[in-house]
Amino acid sequence: MQFMLLINEDGSPYADPDGGHLLEQVVAGHIKLAEDLVAAGVPFSGERLKAAATATTVRSDNGVVTIHDGPFAETHEELGGFYIIDVASLDEALAWARRIPVPKGGVEVRPVWQMEG
Amino acid sequence: MAARPRVVAALAAALRDLDAAEEAFADAAATCLALAEPPRDVAAWLYVAARRRAIDAIRKARAEARTADAMAGVSDMADILNLPEPIPDERLRLLFICCHPALAAEVRAALALRVICGLPVGAIAQLFVVSEATMFQRITRAKAKVREAGIAFEPPERRHWLERLDAVLLALELAFTAAYADAGGELSADIGEDLGAEVERLALLVAELLPQEPEALGLAALVLLARSRARARLDAEGAMVPLSRQDAAKWDFARIERARTILGQAAERGRSGPYQVMAAIQLTHARRAYDGAVDWGAVLRLYDVLLALRPSPMVALSRALALAQLEGAEAGLAALDALPDHRLALARPWHVARADLLAKAGRAGEAVAALDAALALEPPRAERLWLERRRAQLA
Repeated sequence: MQFMLLINEDGSPYADPDGGHLLEQVVAGHIKLAEDLVAAGVPFSGERLKAAATATTVRSDNGVVTIHDGPFAETHEELGGFYIIDVASLDEALAWARRIPVPKGGVEVRPVWQMEG
Repeated sequence: MAARPRVVAALAAALRDLDAAEEAFADAAATCLALAEPPRDVAAWLYVAARRRAIDAIRKARAEARTADAMAGVSDMADILNLPEPIPDERLRLLFICCHPALAAEVRAALALRVICGLPVGAIAQLFVVSEATMFQRITRAKAKVREAGIAFEPPERRHWLERLDAVLLALELAFTAAYADAGGELSADIGEDLGAEVERLALLVAELLPQEPEALGLAALVLLARSRARARLDAEGAMVPLSRQDAAKWDFARIERARTILGQAAERGRSGPYQVMAAIQLTHARRAYDGAVDWGAVLRLYDVLLALRPSPMVALSRALALAQLEGAEAGLAALDALPDHRLALARPWHVARADLLAKAGRAGEAVAALDAALALEPPRAERLWLERRRAQLA
């Protein structure tokens, strides 16, 4: 079954003096993770997103649609990227989610709604 | 209906759906009751019939088509009346699944009590001191999450056992608390099996699986010690016999010895914990059979440790009673009265404890009043009979 791993990250550690080095490590971690997913034969996709400051939100309230500058939710941690993986169970999805490098933040694991075949 | 928990657990494991398992069982049980002749092996019949029913239901629900196809083979059974299919004992495995860390901490043990032990939601709500409606909602949500979130139904790998162990032990402890309070057997009759015996079996299994975990051993010892007194707890008329008045000759010394050995193994690990301390307290009481008297100083020290590890009004109350044995009834009463605003949560034990100490202090009139207060709080039958007898002696 498919799971989406939503990476919600507080970007402040990257702004520290050593932030550039940290970012390199995190990117290397993602590359390693992708290699391991391939090696394990797990079908997956995933993307890194640009900062929440670049987000635009289309809001809808009883048919009235408005456009807003900014992300859907203003939070300390912002959605920074995602993976979609196809594994047998939540337990396997959690094992992969644990391996996503996140200096500060968390990874939300959500089952993808399966369309009937 | 007898065998309910065993059959529901096996169904849940086969169907990977806790709700579907309960519904299918209810359907099959109704059909079974309507049969002209009961099947030879009721449990096996229920299991096969319920599983077939559930699979049919799943097939109808197109959304679950993939699961149903995977299980299509098993529904083609000819004469289910005579199929002596062994029911896999899946309860331990399900216990660990119900305690999955993806479920909210406050619901894991509750879900286990519902699914594995078949406790009524009302009884579970009482154990957690929440309303039945709240507990019902929690359990319903948890079941839906197990179904929808893709939680694995395979037994967790050994390295994942530990993060589930606390909830597993709590579920077993609470199940045993419910079973122990049910001295008269009403709850077990309702569930259809001896709940205490089943918890003992599961607690011993967990201890066997995780011998390096002293708290798992501690809980197994605790359950063994409590069950060692089963024959001494009720008198001929079904009235409760308090521990201090029990005939030690009626205790089960095989269980006491086994508990002592297990607790010794736990101690070798050098990591104490609440279950080990609770078991040690019970073992100290059990030593009365050998020493002729209880070492109340040891009991009091152990309660002090327990209060530090896991404070609760009930532990504080028990400590007050131990203190009374050492320093007299008035000291115990003072400690009881000093218990803060938790009296409502344990109103009945509090009144019973006070009555005991007031009687010892020669304040018979007040003791009777305390007994009346306890009796007004609807104790179970065995306790009521005992309290009424005490009241008659004092009045």
